[in-house]
Order: sequence, then C-alpha cells, then structure tokens
Amino acid sequence: MSRVLTSLRIPIAVLVVIGVWQAVYLAGVANPKYFPSVFEIASAFWVMVSTGGLLASDAVSFSRAAMGLVAASILGIGLAVLSDFYPAFGKGFQYISDFVQPIPPAALVPTAVFALGLGWKLYAFVIILVTVWPPFMNGVAALRAVGSTQINTGRMLGLTPWEMMWQIKLPAALPEIFSGIRYAATLSIIAVTVSEMLAGRDGIGFLIFKKAFALRTADVFALMFLVAFNGVLLNLAVGALRRMFTGWHLQMTERAR
Amino acid sequence: MDVTIELLSARSVNKTYGTGSAQLAIIDGLSLAVRSGEFVSLVGPSGCGKTTLLMCLAGLQAVSSGEVNFEGARIKEPPPGLSVVFQDYSRALLPWKNNLQNVLFGMRRNHTLSAAEKTEKAREILAAVGLHGFEDRHPWQLSGGMQQRVAIARGIAAESRLLLLDEPLAAVDAQTRADMQDLLLELAAKFKQSCLLVTHDVDEAVYMADRVLVLGPRPTKVVREIAVKLARPRDQLATREHPDFLKARHEVLSLIRSMRKASKDVLP
Repeated sequence: MSRVLTSLRIPIAVLVVIGVWQAVYLAGVANPKYFPSVFEIASAFWVMVSTGGLLASDAVSFSRAAMGLVAASILGIGLAVLSDFYPAFGKGFQYISDFVQPIPPAALVPTAVFALGLGWKLYAFVIILVTVWPPFMNGVAALRAVGSTQINTGRMLGLTPWEMMWQIKLPAALPEIFSGIRYAATLSIIAVTVSEMLAGRDGIGFLIFKKAFALRTADVFALMFLVAFNGVLLNLAVGALRRMFTGWHLQMTERAR
Repeated sequence: MDVTIELLSARSVNKTYGTGSAQLAIIDGLSLAVRSGEFVSLVGPSGCGKTTLLMCLAGLQAVSSGEVNFEGARIKEPPPGLSVVFQDYSRALLPWKNNLQNVLFGMRRNHTLSAAEKTEKAREILAAVGLHGFEDRHPWQLSGGMQQRVAIARGIAAESRLLLLDEPLAAVDAQTRADMQDLLLELAAKFKQSCLLVTHDVDEAVYMADRVLVLGPRPTKVVREIAVKLARPRDQLATREHPDFLKARHEVLSLIRSMRKASKDVLP
C-alpha cells in the first residue's frame, strides 16, 4: 500500500494542490475576481498556449534558468576549490559572500540595468550572483570535511595536490555540493522570473508583469503555476545528474537507513 | 632476499605537540629498525602514542627531532615503497569506487605493470583475501571484516617493500580477528611482504611477529625487544600453546603491567 502511494506521490501532490485551491475558491473567502477557479486558470493557460506561443516563452525562461544554474555551479565549485587550495583567499572571499548573499534579485536588477543593458549580460549577472552561493558554501564546507584517513590514503599513494583534489576531495564532497545545486536550482528560477519582470522583453516573468498590469488574474495564476512547474523540472534534471555523478552516495545512505 | 637490509629505521626520534606550557611530549628518544623480510610487532600500553609513532614512520607527520629513514633516505613525505593499512577501514576505502577500483587505486605508484596486468593482479589479490566475486561491489555493501580485507588487499597490491599495519584488526570481532591474523600471515608469506604491525593486543603481537618491540608509556620509546623464534606457519592452537609463545607473552605482559603500575604511582 505504502509503495503504491510512494509511486503515485506526484499525481497525489498535484491533486491536493488543485483540490485545496478549488475548495478555497468555492468557500468564497477570496474575491473571485482576484482568485479564479482552477478551471478558469486551466482555460487561460490553454488559450495562451494555443494562441500566444506560451511554450516558446517558457523555453526561453527555462533555458535561462538552466544555463545560469550550470554556470553558477561551475563557478561556485571553482571558487570552493580555490578556497581550499588557498585558505587565505577562502577566508577573505567568505566576507564578500556574506556581504553579497542577502541582496535580493529585485534589488540587483534596477542597478545593473544601467551598466549591463537589457540583454543576456543582465540575466547572467543577476542569476549567477544569486545562484552561486549554495554550491560555493556547500563546496567549501564539504571539501574542508573530507576525512583525514582518506587524505592520508592519498598522501601514502603520492598524490599531487591536484590529484588529491580530483581523485579524493571532490568525489567525497560532491554529494553535499549537489545538495547546494539543488537549492540553487530554485533560486535560479526565482532570479530569472524577477529579472524578466523588472527588465525583460520576453519570458514568463515579462508575461506575468504584462498580464498583472492588465488585471488578467487567471492568466497571471496560470503563469505562476508554469514557473513552479519549471522549478520542478529543473530539480528533476539536477536529480538525474546527481544520480549520475553520486549514485553511490544515494545507494549508501539508502542502505544505512 | 637478504634479511639484513635495513628498510625502515628511526633514530632518537622526538615528537611533541604544542609549545611552552601546553607542550605535550608523545615520543621521546625512540629508535627502532625493521629489516627486509621481517614481520615486526610494535606493542604498548594504550595511549602511549602508537598512532602518532606510525604517522611519523609513514612520513605523514614530521618528527620534532631525530630522523626516520626509509631505504637509507630521510623521510619527509610518504615515500614510494611504503604503504599503510589504517585501522578505520570504512574511512580509508573510497566509497565511490568499487572494491576492484579501490585495490587498483592502491597500485597507482606501480609504473611497471600495464593497466590490464594491474587489473589481473588486483583480481588475484582480491581472490587471495577471499573476496572473489565481490570485485564489482562497493565497500559499504560488505561487512566490516570484508571491508578490512579490501583495505588489506589494497595494501598488499601496492607491492611495497614495507607495509605498515595500524591496528588493522582492532575493529573486527574476536572470531574474525583470528581468521584475519592467519590471513595476514599467509599473505605476508605468499607475497614476501615485510610488515610492521602496530597493536595493543599482546597475544596478537607475539603470534604474528618475528620480533616484538615493546613501547613504554608516553612519552614513548622502545623499552624492550623480544625475538620470537616460533616456527612458521603459525597455528592458532599449537602456536598459542607453545612454551616459547607463553614465555614471550609473559615477558611482554609483565613489562606492560609494571609500566602501568609505575605510571599510576606518578599520577594522582
């Protein structure tokens, strides 16, 4: 029974969200003008797909989020590796990280528009600046936590510092780094949407802004759900990569349970 | 093989941690030598600094004064030809590699064999430790005793002139322990592996060794050397009941007991 439930967890979760939404609508606690029913949202979605080229816009937003995440992950891991090789750099960079991290993407966009214009540079800047921290922070912590016995094993085999990084430290740290990337995937979706809302000329965020301005409530909610779906999709992609690179760790922890 | 070649030697080694009033002396004027073809046991009271000593002998930690030489050259970093089997096998094996890959990883300082020859050799050694058929499994899919067999296989596979064994059997149960002792002796004979075994188990130290070096309390040094002239191959029953075994065991145990008494007299 529990196995059946586990395998059906995604449709069940979707049904729960739809059910709660519709219940709130039917209860009449919110003004129906600003809180449309599930069916209105679905039909608004369908109209946008069939006439407005919604899927093309979604592809633009999703690929921005995905590319930003890839770039930010590589950069974050690179910075973590650098911090591990040069502890002085790591300590100094930690201050910069603590300083930049709390800045919300909504505050970054207006200031960056003037310097970077409205093109891909703006997206790259905002997404990376918001997304780079979880892989970086997890990377620093995980590289520092690699066991001394594993390190000593590598030293006994005459590993150079680079070999130690590639063959012992990074593989050992990768599971925790992937936890960071998973979190970063969500941040990346948020950063893309906010950037498109504030400074975009296309993409889902831009559509949300346009429809909200026109008070097309059902359209806005449909777009919001699409953003959420993008997040799920990106997480699935990260999960697939995680299984590919650190499948051993998932199996090992599954076994220990 | 010429038994008189000195492989590893320590001369007047001191090791201290910290400075000033917080200074802690771990090793104080220790000297020892291990020759090619020997199986030497290092045994001492618990907390005497065995692990620190092993780290210094392996080149993993620097000595404060004195010198450690391997094959005539001063050790600064772990030299080629010297391997360690660590006590904590679950942390020493690499969980993202399977057992065969772990053993192959131990051979990475071997530059004479081709990749195919290495794989063949690794399979042979895994079979020798009784793990034929487990090559594609990961270490964490095995029991503790089997994991330590993988770690030992990795140590043997390195084909080092000297294998340092840091309490390799401390974490396995008593029954497995006796089997593993015999396995280690069998492997040492088969692969002509010189070994230095660090242990706190007096019976094990005597059972395995050609020579037992008894360490004093911290700050430690070698306080006695006992030659064990028991026949090989050793046998868990016959060897342990042999008068020479009992005599050597008695000598080591009484020495350790007297040291413990003396240290208790000093401590409040």
